[in-house]
Amino acid sequence: MKRGRRARMSRVLLNIVGVALTCVFLFPLYWILVSSLKTNAEIFQVIQTFWPSHANLVAYLDQLHGEFNVLTPLLNSLIIAPATLAISMVLAIPAAYGVARFAIRGKKVIIMGFLVTQMLPSTLILTPLYLVFARLRLINNYFSSILADSTIAIPFIILFLRTYFIGLPKGLEDSARIDGCNRFSAFLRIILPISIPGVITAASFAFIFAWNDLMYAITFMNKTSMRPLTAQIYHFMGKYGIEWNRIMAYGVILVLPVIIIFTFLQKYVIGGLTSGAVKG
Amino acid sequence: MKRLLLLSFALVLLAGLCFAEPVEIKVWHYWGGFEAVPFQAVIDGFNASQNKAHAVAQYLPREELNRQYTIGLAGGNLPDIAMVDNPDHASYAAMGLFLDITDRVKAWEGNGKFFEGPWLSCTYQGKVYGVPQNSNCLALYYNVDMLKAAGVNPPATWDELAAAAKKLTKPGVYALAISAIGNEEGTFQYLPWLLSSGATITKLDSPESVKSLTFLTNLVKNGFMSSEVINWTQADAEKQFATGRAAMMVNGPWNLQAVQTDAPNMNWYLAKIPKDKKYTSVLGGENMGITATSQYPNEAWAFLKYMSGTSVMETYMTTSGKFPPRSDVMNGSDFWKSDRLLKVFADQMQYAMPRGPHPRWPDISNAISTALQEALSKTKTPAQALKDAQGKVTKALSN
Amino acid sequence: MRRATYEKGDRGAGYLWVLPALAFMIAFIGYPLAYNLVLSFQKVDVMNIKTVGKPFIGIGNYREIFLGDVLSTSLTNTLLFTIGCLVLQFSIGLALALYFTTGFRLQVRLRGLLTVAWMVPSTVVALLFKFMLSPSCGILNYIIVGTGILREPIGWLTSSSTALWGTIIANTWIGVPFNMILLTAGISGIPGELYESAAIDGATGAQRFFRITVPLLKPAMYAVLILGFVYTFKVFDLIYVMTNGGPVHATEVLSTYAYKLSFERFHFSEGAAAANVLFACLFLVALGYLRLVRDDEEIHA
Repeated sequence: MKRGRRARMSRVLLNIVGVALTCVFLFPLYWILVSSLKTNAEIFQVIQTFWPSHANLVAYLDQLHGEFNVLTPLLNSLIIAPATLAISMVLAIPAAYGVARFAIRGKKVIIMGFLVTQMLPSTLILTPLYLVFARLRLINNYFSSILADSTIAIPFIILFLRTYFIGLPKGLEDSARIDGCNRFSAFLRIILPISIPGVITAASFAFIFAWNDLMYAITFMNKTSMRPLTAQIYHFMGKYGIEWNRIMAYGVILVLPVIIIFTFLQKYVIGGLTSGAVKG
Repeated sequence: MKRLLLLSFALVLLAGLCFAEPVEIKVWHYWGGFEAVPFQAVIDGFNASQNKAHAVAQYLPREELNRQYTIGLAGGNLPDIAMVDNPDHASYAAMGLFLDITDRVKAWEGNGKFFEGPWLSCTYQGKVYGVPQNSNCLALYYNVDMLKAAGVNPPATWDELAAAAKKLTKPGVYALAISAIGNEEGTFQYLPWLLSSGATITKLDSPESVKSLTFLTNLVKNGFMSSEVINWTQADAEKQFATGRAAMMVNGPWNLQAVQTDAPNMNWYLAKIPKDKKYTSVLGGENMGITATSQYPNEAWAFLKYMSGTSVMETYMTTSGKFPPRSDVMNGSDFWKSDRLLKVFADQMQYAMPRGPHPRWPDISNAISTALQEALSKTKTPAQALKDAQGKVTKALSN
Repeated sequence: MRRATYEKGDRGAGYLWVLPALAFMIAFIGYPLAYNLVLSFQKVDVMNIKTVGKPFIGIGNYREIFLGDVLSTSLTNTLLFTIGCLVLQFSIGLALALYFTTGFRLQVRLRGLLTVAWMVPSTVVALLFKFMLSPSCGILNYIIVGTGILREPIGWLTSSSTALWGTIIANTWIGVPFNMILLTAGISGIPGELYESAAIDGATGAQRFFRITVPLLKPAMYAVLILGFVYTFKVFDLIYVMTNGGPVHATEVLSTYAYKLSFERFHFSEGAAAANVLFACLFLVALGYLRLVRDDEEIHA
């Protein structure tokens, strides 16, 4: 590693520029936060304020109790997202490994197949998928949302992890074989542990896909009590127009759990374990 | 012994029938938040008034509600009572969502007591497929202080409006705000102008029609109305008015409270929409009908009758800020005549025209709002835009 | 190059690994795909949705929408939108990925912060940007006019010429973290020694980038691009909420057009046809992706 004043200064510079870039990029988030603390009138006035003149938590308090309270939807989200995660990981990780490290005939067709399932806009999958779930008696059942969200997560995980698995050193399975393992236990004992960063990253994506899903959840579960957090937005978008401060507050509340989970997992997500120099 | 058993069995059965579980009637609507409160009161009142049926209301956001009806028709589950926006009623009736209640209505005291516009919107091919739940219409809101400062009276005709607009427009303030967005809302807002000129929906390329669209386009061209109106919903227009960026706006009674909340110190009032040949407004409001798949049509009909009863309706309307579709309720009460703001809307209601009704209304509406957008954004001349719109309408109606 | 020694024995075994996921997807998406295909060849609309036998009209729906003017506009907009977003997201995402892997202290935490942008649901982002881009009360125009860059505010979403750019900006903001993370994953897989030995050999930064980073990053780049393309091509709620396809179809894309046909105007068959046009485009692009996959397999075998 370079030492000396010049090297230290250039690293300090890197940090500063990094922070600046982040601030510029995240300005919209700052704007959400600031707007959530303003009143409606202040939001729309001609002279923009970068900090509310009277910061108030009205928009937040409204969400914690009463009509629009977030507790039940939050719990619903906390059921749907992890379950989607579990199902999609169990199905997709082996599949990703399969198309990465096996010589399968028609591999390209299979990869193409997974991609193809992503090619219809979700709004047009709604009706036939609803019919399928209706026949399976899953309407107004968490599983309809879970299974539907999995159809988004699975192909993504497969395509992402495939690339990741391809990048792993070739000899890993060989050395396991020498030890007498079959393919499957080699996968469990050697490949998976090494792939934790990739797996956790893929898992995070799957979780967010499910957490942020709105369309499938409200179509397949029309009972208000079963709706996830994303459906709350409709409370603020009625005929009376958009209640900006409440929507912004809602946005903050929606993102918060994910941020918390991510902060804990930061260490394991890709780039977390490799914070050393990768580029010269 | 056997006879005793049989007797007790019969008694239990009889008791069961007498104390039968009330059937559950599912009612779907799109009123969110506090808008749903007065309706819940109606539901509770119905449940308390009898024990054969138990009504349960379910809120779905508007877009989702319509999707659920469509999906439900394809093979999903539907409620017992469905609420729709009045211009959509004919489409859903044609699609088979609603039960034909013509005969039930004939035997009902409410028959013939409704305003013509709302009642018409529930019919399709001469049969009745629901009852109007509430009505509303559009009117002109104006900022009293701004008009006074500019030395103008609230305009009553298009000419007066054009003259006033010039005086009212200042840097940062437009004279008028409307909603000209590219969907039903835009059509809804444009119709009073279109119909006031004497034009009809089925003849969009008439000279009167072109005159109405040209009038609005000129307001934008001369800078009296913001070009952003093509992106504004009625709620956005309300924000413009309430924050003093527009001296006047065309909007409905559901925004009365919004203006009061957003601009508590503003001095404003209402007037009829300026006319060309005649005063017009357009009919808004929702209808409710029994679904064709409902297993309890009799109980559902009982709910609709309860809801449409004169006293229940009056209570609902006075607490919700909506207008009764029944003329006997509207005329029989002092409420609407005496309330300073509501009486202007009530007065305007008599000129309110329904949209359609026609099962192809969505196509007609789409043609109209597209023409509106094209003209206001200066993509096409009003004449050309309306000519193209007429082509689409002719095609839709012939299908 | 040599492949893993397992190969011969488990040709069949590979299928077993893939089967559960494949079966799942076929079960739940296969039916919708077929349903839409069949629907697009029938004539189903408001008048006959409940009748049992639906008339078969072949390519009539396709002809109908191709003759109209909205489809070509939607198609063009969708392509412009997708390519615009992809170019911006990818280049910014790559730049950020490279920057935040150089090896300074805050890089991991800052990267995590940047990811938050992607976690915000698209409906909220749509509303946020609609608000920020407003000519009358938006912060962006406030800054532009306030600092004197321009005299007049830009009507981002209200003017036909700039509306699509407004939506591209919003979607890019969501997409950059997605690209950045996936590319970071690829970059982390490149062994540091390669760079060190190249530096010792006297290679410049640019040479190290083009001769080491780019080739080894290719699989990740292709994956990011194809996924980005597919997801962006079918974006619906961002555009629907931000502009509803307006003004005057300036931001009408295939997914909003198909949605409106089916759910707002009740022309179900035409909506299915429009959705299939979207599908066909993506299918062609994916075929292109596969050819690239074949090439990179051979490099890494």
